[in-house]
Amino acid sequence: MYGMIHRAMRQMVLERLGYEDWLALEQKLGIGPPELLTGMVYEDALTQEIIAEAAVQFNLTFDECLTEFGRYWVRYADHGSFSTIMQFTGQNLASFIANLDRFHLTVGAAMPGTRLPSFTLLSSEEGHLLVQYQSERIGMEKFVYGLFLGLMDRFATFGDVTVTSREAKSVIFDIRFAEQCC
Amino acid sequence: MLLSFTEEQVDALLPTFLFVDRNHNISAMGSSISRRLPEVRIGMPCTEAFQIHNLEIERFFEDGYSTKPIRLVSRHNDFSLYGAAIFHDDGCLLAVRFVLSEELFANGPLDLSDFGHTDPVVLSTMLIALQRAMLEEAQNISLELARERQRSTDLLIRTRRTAGYLGHDFNNLLSIIQLNADRMLRLYGQDKKIAKLANIINETATRASQTTKVAMTLVKQHTGTLQPLSVDAVIRNNISILKSVVGSTVTISLNLQADKYKSVFEYNELLGGIINVIINAREVMPNGGRIEISTSVESGQISGRKVFQPSGNDKYIAIRIADNGVGMSEALLSRAFEPRFSSKPGGTGLGLASVRDFAIERGGDAWLESVLGKGTTVHILLPVVQQSEPTCSIEVQCPEENLLNEPGAQRILLVEDEPYALEALAEMLEAEGHAVTSCMSSEAALKALEREPFHILLTDIVMPGSSGIDIASKASADRPTIKVILMSGFEPSQTSLQPGWLFLHKPLDRAELLQFISA
Repeated sequence: MYGMIHRAMRQMVLERLGYEDWLALEQKLGIGPPELLTGMVYEDALTQEIIAEAAVQFNLTFDECLTEFGRYWVRYADHGSFSTIMQFTGQNLASFIANLDRFHLTVGAAMPGTRLPSFTLLSSEEGHLLVQYQSERIGMEKFVYGLFLGLMDRFATFGDVTVTSREAKSVIFDIRFAEQCC
Repeated sequence: MLLSFTEEQVDALLPTFLFVDRNHNISAMGSSISRRLPEVRIGMPCTEAFQIHNLEIERFFEDGYSTKPIRLVSRHNDFSLYGAAIFHDDGCLLAVRFVLSEELFANGPLDLSDFGHTDPVVLSTMLIALQRAMLEEAQNISLELARERQRSTDLLIRTRRTAGYLGHDFNNLLSIIQLNADRMLRLYGQDKKIAKLANIINETATRASQTTKVAMTLVKQHTGTLQPLSVDAVIRNNISILKSVVGSTVTISLNLQADKYKSVFEYNELLGGIINVIINAREVMPNGGRIEISTSVESGQISGRKVFQPSGNDKYIAIRIADNGVGMSEALLSRAFEPRFSSKPGGTGLGLASVRDFAIERGGDAWLESVLGKGTTVHILLPVVQQSEPTCSIEVQCPEENLLNEPGAQRILLVEDEPYALEALAEMLEAEGHAVTSCMSSEAALKALEREPFHILLTDIVMPGSSGIDIASKASADRPTIKVILMSGFEPSQTSLQPGWLFLHKPLDRAELLQFISA
């Protein structure tokens, strides 16, 4: 995965636990600034190690940590250097998800070597979306689940995300949401 | 070949399309037009919704066009659309798209849904935005790495100093043990049991001394070495790093005029210091600016209170790092070098403080000049080392002419603040036939120097009050032929030693000391 993911995880640990805990994580995994370069593509195994160690520090299971991280990831991208592009990708939950593949097309052009997922909006109704997530990667379902929760936060909505079907490289998510009242 | 598309299919390709019938009324439009320009309605005359440039709508169908470029400007807001008018029997398809300015991309109401899936302009605009974001991230990472490097350097310097102080104290104690074991051997060595015990003590102290040396050497291995270096070369060789630290909005220019001169410093100390200064400069120029790094050689003198006076004969390499940022107020200027003081949120306040510490430690100085609204200049002075005059390196003896060298006839001024070491050393030297004047303080030593001439000054370096270096400087100035032997458990900086001075590392080796005395 690309280094921006690692930087986001670092920021999450810094915000929730503090600098000492991140240093402890770095020392345990033997990583440092060279593993935190935004545009660099790293082995998935390294990313998983970082998330696993962060899960231990947060006292969460790996899957719980992935979900939390997915949710945090949206907030992180939204407030950093990439906020303009996030804004341009979509201005509501449905349009954002519908345009994610186009956004990823640009990311792929800028960062060769990345293996980006695909999101297809199978149906879009008022307060209800059916989204197909496809990826060569295995084990990121909980991250994507957190990502949808994060997007609901971003667009001031709330609701539930469930999985309606699951295949080897494809998961269909059912998203039901409503606007927050105030 | 005639291709036929439904409105929905055209909308997927061109969400901003418009269809104008032969009466010049809008008969169909894309989803983005409905979303972003709600005042535009089906059946409305096209000219009521838009100003049409470069084509006269009244002549749309008279001139027999096939396709023509067209630009529309909304009459209700600032949106511009550009594309082609495609004519056929039923009317005209306006295959147009929003003109995507940088401002509209960054702050406008539009998003990807307002552009067709195959729109290359959107892809390239997003790519440019993404590259800019990555550049910004890269600059942030450069800053992080520079700060990390500085933190590591600071930590290593502190660790080295601590190790040096501990080593110094430990070596002093070992020296006392060894000197007194020698003394015991000399006084009571005829008793074999005592001689054996004295030798055991001596050997053990020697092994302990080796351990201390290894520990101190290990600490030093992680830092740069003190050596004569060209400031200009350090700056020139690292210009790409410096440029990446300041980012693309700040330009750096060099005016380096001290290429032929060197000063003694650690490579990373200077580089880290310059990076610290330009990080500060960058942060006061958020909208871009200019930094000039210049060097020259200045003559002057730095007084005891570390104030540079331009009248003097000492040569210094003067480094000036000038920015054209907002400058500093008097109040800020007066506190800028305070450790832990920072005007920036999240600043450590160690950057400028460490720059001045470094300069002073190397025998130079650093200060600031600033004018509000015009910018700030950081001045760093480092003493020029004269390459043509060989300096006496630590632990290497330099021959000196005209020394009195009759064994047993040397008048030695011995200065040592540790009474047990002083007593043992004096006794040992007197046993060798030398005339020894013992002083336990630098004040007593300075008085003794005024009172009588000595052939040799044998002095500890680190003492309360004036140091052994101060005593040696006074002795050498008053009597240039005096042989100076400095001793310490702590290695002094090379720049503090004058040519011809000798240095002995504690714990003292008796044979080596006697060799130094008699040479």
